[in-house]
Amino acid sequence: MFKELNPLLHSELRLGIMSILISVEEADFLFIKEKTSASVGNISVQLEKLSSAGYIQVEKGFIGKRTRTVCKITPKGTAAFAEYVEALKSYLEIKS
Amino acid sequence: MEDKILNEKESLELISKMIQNTQNKLESGEGKPFLIFGYISVIISIAVYALLVTTNNQFANLLWWAIPLLGGLFMYMFGRRKDKYAKTYIDRIINTVWGVIGTVMILVSFSAFIIHSFPMVSLMLLLSGIATTLTGLIIKYIPIVICGICGTLTCALPFIFIGYEQVLIFTVAVFIMMVIPGHILNYKGRKSNV
Repeated sequence: MFKELNPLLHSELRLGIMSILISVEEADFLFIKEKTSASVGNISVQLEKLSSAGYIQVEKGFIGKRTRTVCKITPKGTAAFAEYVEALKSYLEIKS
Repeated sequence: MEDKILNEKESLELISKMIQNTQNKLESGEGKPFLIFGYISVIISIAVYALLVTTNNQFANLLWWAIPLLGGLFMYMFGRRKDKYAKTYIDRIINTVWGVIGTVMILVSFSAFIIHSFPMVSLMLLLSGIATTLTGLIIKYIPIVICGICGTLTCALPFIFIGYEQVLIFTVAVFIMMVIPGHILNYKGRKSNV
């Protein structure tokens, strides 16, 4: 039986961002931009969606006079990601 | 990358690709802490040796404290990443290793005020050699492990060479286990970014 795929994660950019954040402790906006090659506006919108869902934590700070946005995955985000991968496996008939 | 819906196979491929891209990639500037503390230690140790030889005054040893002070200051000024960055779990482990060993080094240095016969140079070489070796093992990079082991082995030399020459042994050992690994890491980081 197929499990339902989390619609919040089933989008290329949001899934890309979550995959980055699951592999590191924290990453800043520029790092995410470089790895995803997405536009600043698009990334900002997706970060906001993931943050609103409680999947990631976004902290804004300063390095000298420049602003720095640092993102990290939350336990809720990690659980949602793991659940999403499990659901994907059921679609692809991968034995866990 | 856009806000488009993927099929299941594409999703798994994307997850795998992003995780691979993010991990196991040294960024340029990884060797910065090694170079900052390495070069400061080399310069200070040469200064201590010169003062000891010329003045024969043991107060010259107080100059050793410039290493953590200047190192901390330079790390604050130049060690922070100004461009894009991600902190990996490996970064945290390495920071913890150096944090623990650095603290032990400072505590050991304080104890030298009480116990004058403390084999300070040997202990410092042993501790920093262990930290460099562990760093190499954690990032799975053999050249750093070799530099660390070579540095660790030099901790025996101060028992053979008694006197001010011990300071010069420290200089050479620090160059092997801090400066060389720093340049290797920066070179590898630059290469992996090309």
